[in-house]
Amino acid sequence: MSRGKAPAFEERFLETFSSAAGVSGGEESVRAAVVDAVRERVDSLEVDSMGSLVAHLHPDGGRYRAKPGRRAQRTGGRKPHLMLCAHMDEVGVMVTAIDKDGLLRFRKVGGIDTRILVGQVFRVGRDGLRGVVGTLPPHLLSRADREKVTPIEDLYIDIGAASREEAQGSVSIGDYGTFDTIYERWGQTRKGKAFDDRVGCAILASLVQSRPPLPVTAVWSVQEEVGLRGAAAAARRVAPDLAIVLEGTAAGDAPGQKPDESAPMMGHGPALTVQDRSLMANARLVDLIERAARRHKIPTQWKRPGIGGTDAGRIALSGAGVPAAVISVPCRYIHAPAAYLDIRDARRTVELVWQTMTTLTKEWP
Amino acid sequence: MRSITSSIDSILPVFLAAYGPPGRESGIRAAIKRSLRGLGPIREDAGGNLHLHRPGRGPRLLLAAHMDAAGVIVTRVDAAGLGRVSLLGARNASEFVGTTILFEDGGRALLGYDRPRGSKDGAEVDSDLLFLESGHGSSGARRRLSVGAVGAIEDRPLRLGDLWCAANLDDRAGCATLVAALRAARAPRYDLHVIFTAQSELGSRGAATGAFGIDPEIAVVVDLAHIDEKETGSAAVGKGPCLGLKEDGYVAHPAALSIAKRAAAAARVKTQWIIREREASDARAIRATRTGVPTVVVAIPAKRSGGAASLVHAKDLNQTAQLVARILTTPAATSRGGRS
Repeated sequence: MSRGKAPAFEERFLETFSSAAGVSGGEESVRAAVVDAVRERVDSLEVDSMGSLVAHLHPDGGRYRAKPGRRAQRTGGRKPHLMLCAHMDEVGVMVTAIDKDGLLRFRKVGGIDTRILVGQVFRVGRDGLRGVVGTLPPHLLSRADREKVTPIEDLYIDIGAASREEAQGSVSIGDYGTFDTIYERWGQTRKGKAFDDRVGCAILASLVQSRPPLPVTAVWSVQEEVGLRGAAAAARRVAPDLAIVLEGTAAGDAPGQKPDESAPMMGHGPALTVQDRSLMANARLVDLIERAARRHKIPTQWKRPGIGGTDAGRIALSGAGVPAAVISVPCRYIHAPAAYLDIRDARRTVELVWQTMTTLTKEWP
Repeated sequence: MRSITSSIDSILPVFLAAYGPPGRESGIRAAIKRSLRGLGPIREDAGGNLHLHRPGRGPRLLLAAHMDAAGVIVTRVDAAGLGRVSLLGARNASEFVGTTILFEDGGRALLGYDRPRGSKDGAEVDSDLLFLESGHGSSGARRRLSVGAVGAIEDRPLRLGDLWCAANLDDRAGCATLVAALRAARAPRYDLHVIFTAQSELGSRGAATGAFGIDPEIAVVVDLAHIDEKETGSAAVGKGPCLGLKEDGYVAHPAALSIAKRAAAAARVKTQWIIREREASDARAIRATRTGVPTVVVAIPAKRSGGAASLVHAKDLNQTAQLVARILTTPAATSRGGRS
């Protein structure tokens, strides 16, 4: 295992993770893909009671493992014990009822804009059956109805079944539905499903390919999109000295946005958080990350304060408190069928986290 | 108890003027630390709280007052050089309008409001329309107001007769009374932990982690309570400290309340009751720590001005400090409540 040098961002992880289905509470396929990617590289690997994947890596090769609940001074000299966290779950839908004519009624899991649902293809149930969110064509709609956003109660997924019995052959109430999106490359841009937060998962899986310079617990968490739940439980067990959350965050660079409203922008480097609805990022830790970025000429930008929330908010409040920060890859069109990111931002984020870890060994606490 | 009054008179203006919005409590932390010199070992915990420990043989008693005061964070700087902000804390946007905002680096800006044309005078202030004018034009502002900079209301405390009139009384008044009480108190009957909490305005974040680390057996929270005829009943400014019976997420624990009541009687401090629905203190986080902590709130009654300033009565501050000092020497009931 290489030591000292920043690992490369492994795009194959992003493609595999992005294409796996994992709506909040049903992250098994994503978890299996992450396990495949990291099992040979980590000192220990376990699934916690909520379903989060927890891996320990120690600079000494696992001879002294950073056991859950143990502080760094007992496990790795004076080096702080760092928790890195990315969430595996994505927003999607859940089947709530099957009509007698075989149509599936559903509700959102996590935050999706109702306006984008109509006409969307979802993959539903254990076989990943494709179904479309049906609507009447414009020919058959009144002018007034065409201007309206259909409330979710009136929407349905049509899998082509003719009756409830036929639908029940492949779909059950409680089954999840995910967007049906193919991963693609155009220049530096990548298109795919659930970059929030499969890009974080892929960055974290890439990072653990090299042995870190300080004790690390890597957590791929569950149920972030429905209330930051998995990370809250994991942090309590891991009891780290500090935490960095890796995210895919909303890029603001769309036509019509004023320059000061378009931050963070795709392709302009990792976005750092000062504050969001869940967290005041630890000022010393953010300063240290910024310093590491400047020293290694990694461009960074600020995420717009005051919006959103991440696992870091819950980790920071666990136990007697954990200094926490967030580093995000700006992605356009998150919480929608297809997100875009700039692959260079993902590479820079791997580099930035690595350089931050190296800096932490010298400058923390 | 002249010493308590002179302590408060000297500390409070310093605390009010100190920089300390949520998550950036550097200034107030330093000011409190200076005022606690000689009272015991002090540390800053992982959540940013200031923690004083006076080891003793009794049960672990936690005294808490929050040191952060509501502030703003710069979310973007527009083409005209105006900073746009998001509010940090539960304060009404209208109370910020016209205040001077102080930043950690000493920079200042005026907080203004683009009142929408045709809006009624009484209409609620939309925080999206607040702006920061730094006076440095569009290019200069970008250097002085950076995205993510956190500002606090620059307070100019006033003493009007018996009243203190200031913007940051919530909860610098509580911090000052705690310090005065600690200075005046005799040897406590408790293993005493005092935390001046961080990020209270953002949902008692500092109190939650601070109390977890201390694992107290009893807790007393000192906070400011705004008197509102409809909500808080007959409680009034100038009539003594209030014992909090109920807030959002809190009801007084009988064992903790009993200590406060006995201490008030022993110190001959006249108290009032207060029940409030909308405001809340760190009690909601502390009482739910670990397996639960018997908690009581001691509230300093305050009057709103409608703007940034609140008013508190000097006598209430003195009496609150006397009550808190006496709580430290009042034994806990043995039969129930505490775990010792």
